[in-house]
Amino acid sequence: MKNRGDSPDKRGGWLFFLAGLIGALIIGWVIFPMVLYSKQEQPVNFNHALHLNPDIGIEGETQQEQCRFCHRFRDDGTFAGIPKNNTCTMCHDDPEFPITKSPDEKKYLTEYVAEDKEVPWLIYSRQPDCVYFSHIAHVEMGEIGCETCHGDFAENKTLPVYEENRLTGYSRNIWGKRISGLYWDKKPWDRMKMDDCAECHTEHGQEQNNACFVCHK
Amino acid sequence: MELNRRNFIKFLVGGVVGIQATPLPWKITDDAAIWTQNWPWVPDPAEGAFSEAESVCTLCPGGCGISVRKVEDRAIKIEGRTDYPINPGGICPVGAGGLQLLYDETLRFTGPMKRVGMRGKGEFVPISWDEAFKVLGDRLSGLRRKGSPEQVAAIDGNQRQTTMSVLIERFMQAVGSPNHVRTPSIEDTYRMGNFLMQGTESTMAYDLENADYVLSFGCGLLEGWGAPGRVMNAWGLWHEGHPEKRSATITQVESRASNTASKADYWIPPRPGTEGALALGLAHVIIQEGLCDDGFLKEHTFGFEDWNSFSGRVHTGFKTMVLKQYSPQRVAKITGVEQKSIVSLARHFAKAKAPVAIYGKGKDGQNGSLYEFMAVHSLNALVGGINRAGGVLVPEALPLRSLPPVNPDAIASRGLSRARLDKAGTPAYPFAHSLINNFADAIKSASTSPIDTLLVFSANPAFTVPDGGDFQEALKRIPFVVSFSPYRDETANMADLVLPDSTYLEKREDVVWPVGLQYPFYALSNPVLSPIYDTRNTGDVLMELANAMGETVGSAFPWEDYEEVVKIRAKGLFEAGGGRMTYDPALPVWEQTKEKTAKPGYNDFDELWDNLLAGGFWYRPGNANRGWDDLFTTPTGRFEFFSKKIADRIESASNQSSTETVLKQMGITVGEDEACMPHYEAVVSETDRAQYPLQMMPYEMINLASGWVPSPPFLYKTIFDHQLLKDESFAAINPVTAAEYRLRDGDRVAVQSPAGQVTVRINLFEGAMPGIVYLPLGFGHTGYDEFIKGKGINPNSIVSAGADPLSGEPVWWNTPVRLIKV
Repeated sequence: MKNRGDSPDKRGGWLFFLAGLIGALIIGWVIFPMVLYSKQEQPVNFNHALHLNPDIGIEGETQQEQCRFCHRFRDDGTFAGIPKNNTCTMCHDDPEFPITKSPDEKKYLTEYVAEDKEVPWLIYSRQPDCVYFSHIAHVEMGEIGCETCHGDFAENKTLPVYEENRLTGYSRNIWGKRISGLYWDKKPWDRMKMDDCAECHTEHGQEQNNACFVCHK
Repeated sequence: MELNRRNFIKFLVGGVVGIQATPLPWKITDDAAIWTQNWPWVPDPAEGAFSEAESVCTLCPGGCGISVRKVEDRAIKIEGRTDYPINPGGICPVGAGGLQLLYDETLRFTGPMKRVGMRGKGEFVPISWDEAFKVLGDRLSGLRRKGSPEQVAAIDGNQRQTTMSVLIERFMQAVGSPNHVRTPSIEDTYRMGNFLMQGTESTMAYDLENADYVLSFGCGLLEGWGAPGRVMNAWGLWHEGHPEKRSATITQVESRASNTASKADYWIPPRPGTEGALALGLAHVIIQEGLCDDGFLKEHTFGFEDWNSFSGRVHTGFKTMVLKQYSPQRVAKITGVEQKSIVSLARHFAKAKAPVAIYGKGKDGQNGSLYEFMAVHSLNALVGGINRAGGVLVPEALPLRSLPPVNPDAIASRGLSRARLDKAGTPAYPFAHSLINNFADAIKSASTSPIDTLLVFSANPAFTVPDGGDFQEALKRIPFVVSFSPYRDETANMADLVLPDSTYLEKREDVVWPVGLQYPFYALSNPVLSPIYDTRNTGDVLMELANAMGETVGSAFPWEDYEEVVKIRAKGLFEAGGGRMTYDPALPVWEQTKEKTAKPGYNDFDELWDNLLAGGFWYRPGNANRGWDDLFTTPTGRFEFFSKKIADRIESASNQSSTETVLKQMGITVGEDEACMPHYEAVVSETDRAQYPLQMMPYEMINLASGWVPSPPFLYKTIFDHQLLKDESFAAINPVTAAEYRLRDGDRVAVQSPAGQVTVRINLFEGAMPGIVYLPLGFGHTGYDEFIKGKGINPNSIVSAGADPLSGEPVWWNTPVRLIKV
């Protein structure tokens, strides 16, 4: 009787298994994220670093003050988020006379200010509709700096590419950067899922805020 | 190493094992779950800054203050205003659901349209405003050139004295047609009754909040009568009491145990249509037991006692008539109310400190009976409750400035001199201004329609007029129908041309003295957002149309726009002085009405106007309690139990024909003297009672609009299964009546009247009077959207009971019917 275990076919078979395994790993780790997320450039390449340069840009004693000059809180305490034209045109008010020679400024002035159109900014950190998130509770009461959750945008000369989940329509920053959950270098702006909120609340001794109704009204 | 089946399977197994060690399956599972939350039809709340816009609701003439919450330009919620005198914080379900009337584009017209399909199908194609003006302007000018401007008619659902209604009236005058017809409402009854008994043509000023005994003859206090926000608030005051004051007793006189009747302290059910007899029975007891206010009767009334005319003829007075004809025994027979209830009710009412008898029929969207109203109002006079806090006040008219008169050209003058099609104001209907039932009848019975072009404003007569479908028939015969409705209602679906108005949240519109309010009141709505579709304020459209027609029609409208006309009229408010524009909940208006004078709450007209533009209001409480001089503007200068005006009209008409004929024309079956006083008229139905042994009465609900404005579809979710189940509405009948017909709860029946039949299901209801079939109003639409149309039946389509004596308006509460099990 032939010993099947010794046949070259059998040893070679394991290579097929390995090929399937490696192929799947490549698909799952490399190709899948590429397919799942669309990459979109922002309509205008805004330069945070330039605007926050105290010599030429926005003044403010602290960095938070600087951030909040544009990303302001409304009178009722709600967060205005990405500024609208009425904030930008405090300085860039005349489409005929740009402040700088930057092509980005020119694009903004001609395509948006002159046309009286709002810029359709792509928002990295927008939470789903079912989540109630209060910025003022975190920034004022929790004394958390903007950069803690959003990263150091102050240094950015260009806006990061916006990646959108093709299936859910949510930004990759909400869930997708740390796709495995195994990264050792955790950044809040990589992942903003419910577990992340709860983890931070717990770390700061705010377990009571992990109750469902605090965020899901 | 060849790729055989075994190796291929190994490859696949490797793939499956490998994929488990990647995020793919886990991420896909989670994302798929999130994907299901983001389907395109899942509502997506607007993002942005919140704001509140203050305005006034004009969905009904109640004029409640509303605060609209917005996110950027999206209106998201409507609430009652707490800084507003009429409805401190409250709002009715229709008002709360009003956003659906704004955003539901299948419910409204998104721009001017012309009909392409069959009439009634609602098939239209968009056209430009210019084309719409041209088509309509040419047609109207053509009729004028032909010398027959009276062939233009307007149906006007706006309240009298509103700027919109004034403009429509003016337009018809300038064009030269006398056929400006209003849709019926309880205001007609109040206006005529007030005119006959007190001499003024304003609404009834019931001081409900200060009353301690409210005797309501049929007013749906909890179903939306009057200004619903105000009445609900008053209901709270009556029950919980004013601070440190007693609460009020409420007696509801109504044949059906409505919400109001169920929650009142006492419920007295007379047969529908006999309420007037009951009121006179109460008057009998009050007079006989000496419970009247003799001082008031002696000093301020006319016709209570018998009196002699100049010719020396002795006329019967109210007292003699009532004592002779309305004994509790007789009244008990007519009404079906027990004698002892009549006696005890009369005593309770007359002995109260501040009693008020109020009259209505359900909501205020339909007319009442004129003599019934007069009978009820005479109770207020008997107890001296007129011009007294807690009774009926007699405020001065709202001092809006009049527009300069129209100078009609020769064509228009000729047109205006022709008879009105509805015969209002003729000897048969001397006090009516409009009779839509006669209007429809005239068109229906003519060989060719005497009306060529019908303009319909803020009205849906094809659905709301209780005439057994006569108006619908008339519409079919009118060659050209133009609708100005924002909504795809039944009348608009019959139109050839639609020039849609903006909805109430997108335009300015004034509120003029809401029904039953005890003080003059004026408010202006503030557009909460700009029109979201290609619609325009009909006020502006009418002016542009007039100007496009040129000639003298255009010169009657020398103003820039609707707002300018409102401003001109509002100047009268400033000139009259003494108004207020703020409201302090700590000092409600019903407290202020006792003040003799009021300081104005503004310094100049600009301040008043700016306030109005910001969704403000104007009222004048101090003027409500007036001295007796010049209070009543009747021919005798007194409150008239015996109306001299009726006597005059009978006399002047008697020059041409006998008094009997004149009275018969008016629908009056009693003698000349009695005809001038409140009395009971059995509504004579020509139909054989043996053939139709039961009586049908429509009824209204607070959570369903039954007028020209559609119900927000949300409200259909609040309807009970015994009112509407799937697509069928229910008739409420008493189990005793059901037993006679061998009907069980839920059975399907045809309700047949001389005018037609409808199929409904049976709801056994102990609160229904035996022998009466109650059908809910507001169902049975064929217009609007999928959520509204095809649900239940419209009882107006089988109403058939003739006309109310003297007023000539439709009697819709007394239709003879029979039930046939289906």
